[in-house]
Amino acid sequence: MTETTSHSQRSGTGKPRRRRKFSALTALIWIAGIIVYLFLISPILVIILSAFSPTEYPTFPPSSFSVRWFTAVFQNSDWWEALRVSLILLAIVTPLTVLLGTAAAYGLGRLKFRGREAIQSLMLSPLMIPQVVLGIALLYEFTSLGIINSLTGLVIGHMVVAFPYVVRVVSVSVIGLDPKLESASMSLGAGRWSTFRRVTLPLIKPGMIAGTVFSIVESFGEVSVSLFVSSPGNITIPVRIFSYIDQTFDPSVNAISVMFIAFAVIALIIIDKTVGLTKVM
Amino acid sequence: MLLLSRRKGCRVVARNTVVRRTLSFYWLMLSPALLFLLAFLVVPFIMLIVLSFREVDSLLNVLPSYSLKNYTEIFTSASYLTTIRSTLGVAALTTVIVIIAAYPAAYLLVRTGSKGLRTFFYILLISPLLTSVVIRTFAWIVIMAQNGLLNEALLKLHLIDKPLSLLWSMKAVVIAYVQVMLPFAVLPIATSMGEIQPKLRQASMSLGAGRIRTFFKVTFPLTLPGLLSGAAIVFSLAAGSYITPLLVGGRLQPLLPLSIYQQAVQVFNMPFAAALSMTLLVLVAIVVGLISWISKRWEARLHD
Amino acid sequence: MSGIHIDDVSRQFGDFTALEEVQLQVREGEFFSLLGPSGCGKTTLLNLIAGFLDPTRGRIMIGGKDVTGLPPYRRGLGIVFQDYALFPHLSVFDNVAYGLRIRKQPKKEIKRRVEEMLALVQLSSMADRRPHQLSGGQRQRVAIARALAIEPSVLLLDEPLSNLDAKLRKAMQTELRTIQRRTGVTTVLVTHDQEEALSLSDRIGILGHGRLQQVGTPLEVYRRPANRFVADFIGQVNLIQTAVAAERSTGRNRHAAIDYEIAAGVPLLLETTGSAEGSGLYMIRPERIKIALTAGNSGEANRAPGVISHVGYAGDQVRLHVQLAGKGELQVVASDPLFPVLPSAGDRCELYWDAEDVIALPPEGV
Repeated sequence: MTETTSHSQRSGTGKPRRRRKFSALTALIWIAGIIVYLFLISPILVIILSAFSPTEYPTFPPSSFSVRWFTAVFQNSDWWEALRVSLILLAIVTPLTVLLGTAAAYGLGRLKFRGREAIQSLMLSPLMIPQVVLGIALLYEFTSLGIINSLTGLVIGHMVVAFPYVVRVVSVSVIGLDPKLESASMSLGAGRWSTFRRVTLPLIKPGMIAGTVFSIVESFGEVSVSLFVSSPGNITIPVRIFSYIDQTFDPSVNAISVMFIAFAVIALIIIDKTVGLTKVM
Repeated sequence: MLLLSRRKGCRVVARNTVVRRTLSFYWLMLSPALLFLLAFLVVPFIMLIVLSFREVDSLLNVLPSYSLKNYTEIFTSASYLTTIRSTLGVAALTTVIVIIAAYPAAYLLVRTGSKGLRTFFYILLISPLLTSVVIRTFAWIVIMAQNGLLNEALLKLHLIDKPLSLLWSMKAVVIAYVQVMLPFAVLPIATSMGEIQPKLRQASMSLGAGRIRTFFKVTFPLTLPGLLSGAAIVFSLAAGSYITPLLVGGRLQPLLPLSIYQQAVQVFNMPFAAALSMTLLVLVAIVVGLISWISKRWEARLHD
Repeated sequence: MSGIHIDDVSRQFGDFTALEEVQLQVREGEFFSLLGPSGCGKTTLLNLIAGFLDPTRGRIMIGGKDVTGLPPYRRGLGIVFQDYALFPHLSVFDNVAYGLRIRKQPKKEIKRRVEEMLALVQLSSMADRRPHQLSGGQRQRVAIARALAIEPSVLLLDEPLSNLDAKLRKAMQTELRTIQRRTGVTTVLVTHDQEEALSLSDRIGILGHGRLQQVGTPLEVYRRPANRFVADFIGQVNLIQTAVAAERSTGRNRHAAIDYEIAAGVPLLLETTGSAEGSGLYMIRPERIKIALTAGNSGEANRAPGVISHVGYAGDQVRLHVQLAGKGELQVVASDPLFPVLPSAGDRCELYWDAEDVIALPPEGV
């Protein structure tokens, strides 16, 4: 784009042929790009379309508008029970993971030692390890410990999965925090903890908020590890969705999904307002 | 008195107390996480490795003896070799498609002049990451089912006579994978693309290279680090996920994660599931290690 | 009682010795500068005084009290950091009040003290602003007010003016000195800027290669540098390496003629007070050499004809390189009004100087 402008400025009205060739290629790239973005968003659009469709399978264009699947969700006690479990989990997992992850990101960000990279890789490894392997490893350990089928096992599983997200997001804030500010605080008489509370925490707060959001999103949508370590008494919403899809085709899943998507949009807005979308990934 | 004793105390304190105090504070912050990961990431993996060498009796009870039997079975059985091959194949195919699709998407993200449009693209990119895997997968079922949205649209447009069977195939798995993994490739490629100075491309074009040649001679080599780090993530995710292939591909697809899931949850042969897990883990580690080795070599070349 | 005594302090980082056997006494109420090129160990020394580092050997006393091993928050020093390190999440008022709140002082007292400090640095109207809403100079003054609010025994300044543009730096230098005089706080300024150190300080300590090279008043370190490093680092200098050829006495001074031919058969003369002779290293400042474009000035003992080889015009002064008729080349700095017409390369000239301006330096490698 820039080249085109400067070129046309220099040569005035001359050589329009060259310009047209440039824009044709640019247009092609834009079309390809837009197709990719459409492809990315299409499942979400389809879900929203289906949730408000009166028929079991959505039609295009939609024939009419209906909220019957939402009503179906609200009348089904299974969903309410799953929501209860999911919320209890969130209430336990989120604060623990954020605390653990923030402290770890801060400690690691300030320490320089041999093997630092290895510890960092270990911390982020749950993002890369095949989730089926993670699930089996935890299933086996929890069975040996006797905490399989308990809420404790589910809490630990969710923490392992959400932890790297918190570490990654908070690390961005820690890297952006000038250690001189902590030195300044200490020179003014504040001890280690006092400095952490009065200077460090307020300044890495955006990262912690984003970390909280990521932890909630991960934990609320987690299914791969949960499937291994949860019991019939502890079924979360995503696990419930999984068994519904696996066994039957229930369109009320669409309605649940729309609620999830609304939830994700709120999460996006919070992340954008706190650390900025472009910084977290 | 008090002052005196405090002074004395200071003198006794060993050298480098200041630094040591600082370091111990940071270690104090780090250690709970280290303990947690040790207990629930390192230990379970060690247990899994040990388990993979155990044998089972005919009732699938774990015996106290150790052997390589599980691994010999995996690497001598034709069906498991096929499974390994198709697991790597699907992951590789997904990675290649994702990378190709990622370039125009990254280009739009970097080159769009409007800030609002860029934010919009970002939202589109990140939103798949924020919706649960079961929901994304469910959407693909709705789209690709026999009486699903895609077939219905194609029928209405008279492009096909009878519904295509898209679901329950590797094709469906790859399509669903590509959608969810695109962001992991677009974001790093966009980052390295954004770091290229426009002057470099202008210089290339002023030297007579066309735009396509400029892409392959300047843009592509400089975005290779971003491409490779994206490829590593995409490959490991595509080789290791089991929810998506289970729901859109079906239980019988020859994929390692599915075999592991079946052995653990349906057959209850834990040692064999553990051996399959280790096989998968090592294969993924080899490919990811190879990719990061290439990446390091390339970066070293760039900065020489 | 708030002087600083640095007693035989060394600091090592692994195999690297950043500071070696530093012995230094900063007097109470003094404005002291630590001057040196980057990597000379001055920041390490500041960190040692502040308590961000511990010495490998030796001890540090502040106000007669041994503070070695005490953490920074128990030393009661005021520090102004290079990039100010103002807390971005706090207002100007809260920044200045920070140390007082840590000390749990009563609200009323905090308010009084902060207002007093802001008045001192002329920022009373900015109390509610955030650091990012301030200019560089204003941030600098907030940092000073914050450091002084806790009534520190010592004020440490770490390159405080290096981020300001040249004009603002001059203004802040004057202001720093005024504030220091008014409060009377013992001040240690770390800087690599010799002009800053010379114009602000009561005394200067020059650090090089991890050692304290010289401590003295600005006049002393400039006019009587203790060694080659100091002579070379501060100001411009002509260094002459040679051997003593002859000595003679004139009145109360002893003159040594050294073997540096400024013209055929004419040795360079210098005044010595004794000890340094025979060392073979001498210096003369370029601005101490007088230049005449016409021959015939009389009465000067040291006179050398030469040819101008380079002329650099810098506005207020003219820098010249003069090739001597004997051997060697000397740099000369002359003030602008001296020349009605600027000389050009190739012009003949005559240089002359007072013998006492040639200073003997101790031999190398000490």
